[in-house]
Amino acid sequence: MTPGKNKKINGVFFRNLVIHQVKQDYLENITGFAWLILQPLILLAVYSFVFSTIFKARIPEAGDIGFVPYLAVAFWPWIAFSEAVIKASSSITSNAALIGKVAFATEQIPLATVTATFLMHVTGYLAVLLVLQLMGTDIHWLYLSLVVPVIILIWLFACAIALFASAIQVFIRDVAQILPPLMMFWFFTTPILYSASYLPASVQGIAEWNPMAWFVARLREFLLLGEINLDWKALIIVLLIGLFCWLSIRFFRRFSGHFEDFL
Amino acid sequence: MDRLVNIENVSKVYPRVYKPGERLRAFGSLLLGRDPVHGAEVLDGISLEVVRGQSLGIIGENGAGKSTLLKVLTGVIKPSRGKVEVHGNVAAMLELSAGFQPDFSGMDNVRMKASLMGLSNRELEENLDDILAFADIGEYINEPVKHYSSGMVVRLGFAVITACKPDLLITDEVLAVGDESFQKKCISWMQKFLKQGGTLLLVSHSMYQVQKLCQKALWVHEGKARKYGDVFPVTQAYLAWHEKRSAREKEAQIKATGAGAYYRIEKFTINGAGKDETPEFAMGDDIEVEIQIYSPDDRPPVGVVGVVRADGTPVYGVISDNEGIKPLKLSDHHYRYRLRFSDISLLPGSYNLRGHSMDPEGVRLFDTAEMVFSVAGNTKEVGYIRLPHEWLDQD
Repeated sequence: MTPGKNKKINGVFFRNLVIHQVKQDYLENITGFAWLILQPLILLAVYSFVFSTIFKARIPEAGDIGFVPYLAVAFWPWIAFSEAVIKASSSITSNAALIGKVAFATEQIPLATVTATFLMHVTGYLAVLLVLQLMGTDIHWLYLSLVVPVIILIWLFACAIALFASAIQVFIRDVAQILPPLMMFWFFTTPILYSASYLPASVQGIAEWNPMAWFVARLREFLLLGEINLDWKALIIVLLIGLFCWLSIRFFRRFSGHFEDFL
Repeated sequence: MDRLVNIENVSKVYPRVYKPGERLRAFGSLLLGRDPVHGAEVLDGISLEVVRGQSLGIIGENGAGKSTLLKVLTGVIKPSRGKVEVHGNVAAMLELSAGFQPDFSGMDNVRMKASLMGLSNRELEENLDDILAFADIGEYINEPVKHYSSGMVVRLGFAVITACKPDLLITDEVLAVGDESFQKKCISWMQKFLKQGGTLLLVSHSMYQVQKLCQKALWVHEGKARKYGDVFPVTQAYLAWHEKRSAREKEAQIKATGAGAYYRIEKFTINGAGKDETPEFAMGDDIEVEIQIYSPDDRPPVGVVGVVRADGTPVYGVISDNEGIKPLKLSDHHYRYRLRFSDISLLPGSYNLRGHSMDPEGVRLFDTAEMVFSVAGNTKEVGYIRLPHEWLDQD
């Protein structure tokens, strides 16, 4: 057995890492974990004010559902995804002291960052859905069982990107600067603030292969419309995400033994 | 035999990473599955094995590559070449505070570190009282670690390690931190650990510690294994090398200051033997020293005679001036001192006899002469000289 193979994912340690990540942001706040729910709700109030009252935004497909629920259902999973990727991309460099002194499976660090971010935002997402229901939007709660696998797929997708980004960031520090504008571009090219039909016909073919667009469309169908439109494409997306995850972990492990030389 | 560690021909080259371009190139070669090879060679062809129950001490100067070797052993870094095999349950403490997050409480950090070391929650609960007792930081355990003194952090770090019950414990100079009583606690824990069949791999600058805790030693010098084997020959060779090196430095210093000596030493003998001889004595013999000094202004110079160890540690010295002794004038400008050390109580070993000439006022030192002599004998006493003594209680 070589020391490299000794580095397995360690469940207890991983759980502690996630708990610490969640605690870290709220540790010294007076209200503590209440912010997990308060923050998304305040944000929801801000968005409904800006988009319904000021912009008077309308989306034809949304019909009588209204713009705010249409946005909210897609927005929180995106925030979880984007924040997780950006935070995790610098997680290896910011844990340099630990990585240089203790041998362990370093992929646990970006993965824990992604997981913690998702746990926090999923809590907020549930609160937002609940408030939307109370405000009169008809949320199809039964389809939550289909929403869970979609969120898990988004989480896996974020994990894979985080593994690539955090490993590259050790060697090329510019990743930390490039990633936020890239994510911003991705946000605006994904139909979150608008509907997919707004995209020019020329790019619609390409946009269909944006996994985030596919996820967002499914979430809206499940939660707001109560429809299930799964076809062969769902299978391909699952397979692609699986392949991407496998590649990312192989990529990460090729570099992880050399991190210490470059940190 | 139960082999815990076996490394063969391990080398480590740190890639050059100062310029962004170099990092990019290193990234490219790793991507293609090649190792970035250019850079500083820190380890060069090191092989060693650790067998259960045979602790190994790694010694060497600062920057010799000891810490890099430990990092390779624990798997923190990959070697550039060579084979590394580690078996059994290994706990490494390259730094006791590694893995501690300053914003979290001591208790949170204990949980974190214990899980990092591979302890399950149940094992942690079982050992928690022992950990807290060992760390001995009382109520502070619920305070954030950033409010701890560095000693407290180290105590807490070591305390978690004590709960891991490893087969092999790898430590890097960790005994050098913390106060006296904590160091004693660590040493006694380690001795208990060894007695219970644990094996230690220790980097230390204290030969005493290495000799006390280890059976084998590896002397790393400029990234290479200079000497490897049983602990006593290796540590002695290392100490001798160190003594010789510091003696060389001192000699250079003496030469620099004694240049163009004014009050010059013309002759320096022990029992008539001169510079190129190495007289041998037994304990209890007499030594007669003669030192002859040239005085340019024909005033009587002051003479100094002393005994030092091979590394320059002074054992005993006398200055003629202080004892009211004037030299014998042999002829114009030539003066002589003679003195006898009778019934010498130096313990067996190699010594240097040193003579100095000083100006008549006994203020400035002008010249130095040195001779090697040895004292033979068989005794189990330790130190440099025998102090007259008697045991007062005896059963």
